[in-house]
Amino acid sequence: MNKHPYLRAYLAGIAVPTVFLLIVMSAYTIIRYVYAVPLPIERIIVFPMAAVPNAWGLWNVLYSAFLVKRHFSLGLFGGALPLLLAPGGYVVTRLLGFTIPDHVLAVAPFALPVGLVIYYLVWKYFVGFLNAELGIA
Amino acid sequence: MNEREREEIKRLLKEFVPAAGQTELGRDLWPTMLKRLEQQPIRMPWWDWALLAGVTVLFCLFPGMIPALLYHL
Repeated sequence: MNKHPYLRAYLAGIAVPTVFLLIVMSAYTIIRYVYAVPLPIERIIVFPMAAVPNAWGLWNVLYSAFLVKRHFSLGLFGGALPLLLAPGGYVVTRLLGFTIPDHVLAVAPFALPVGLVIYYLVWKYFVGFLNAELGIA
Repeated sequence: MNEREREEIKRLLKEFVPAAGQTELGRDLWPTMLKRLEQQPIRMPWWDWALLAGVTVLFCLFPGMIPALLYHL
């Protein structure tokens, strides 16, 4: 298990959002095409499909490269990722001309701290478990 | 098949099927098993439970944030 530590870190990082993406995509597809919600989600779907899992993988590579030997908390490091993803996701919606519904914008101040907490927990327990299994941490 | 070929096949079979006579494991697996059994299960501290409860309450109070969070997960 000593070979390719960064590749293993990348794979451990992308595993969780990749599995979760299946659930999210199914939900979005049902909302859009079964319930005919008039939101052109497919225009912005590239962000959760491509950018987010890769960001997780690269974030875990950064952790394994610089922080694992310093025993820095994986939960805290992973919990900081929404601070990059949230503005990134917002920029994507603006660039692609996607109008965010008002009721979603209204709860944005609550969504960021909630996202930080969720990321903290998921990184601490799920990614941490995968890292341990793959001999990264 | 002449005698020489028969000997060659016998030699090749012995060379490539060596494990048939070896019924012992190369190493003892029991210490590894004990080590695995002794590992503590994952335990969540109380503050992580509190965070999880807080997030759940906020989801119930503000369900509008769920699509935004799903978009970023």
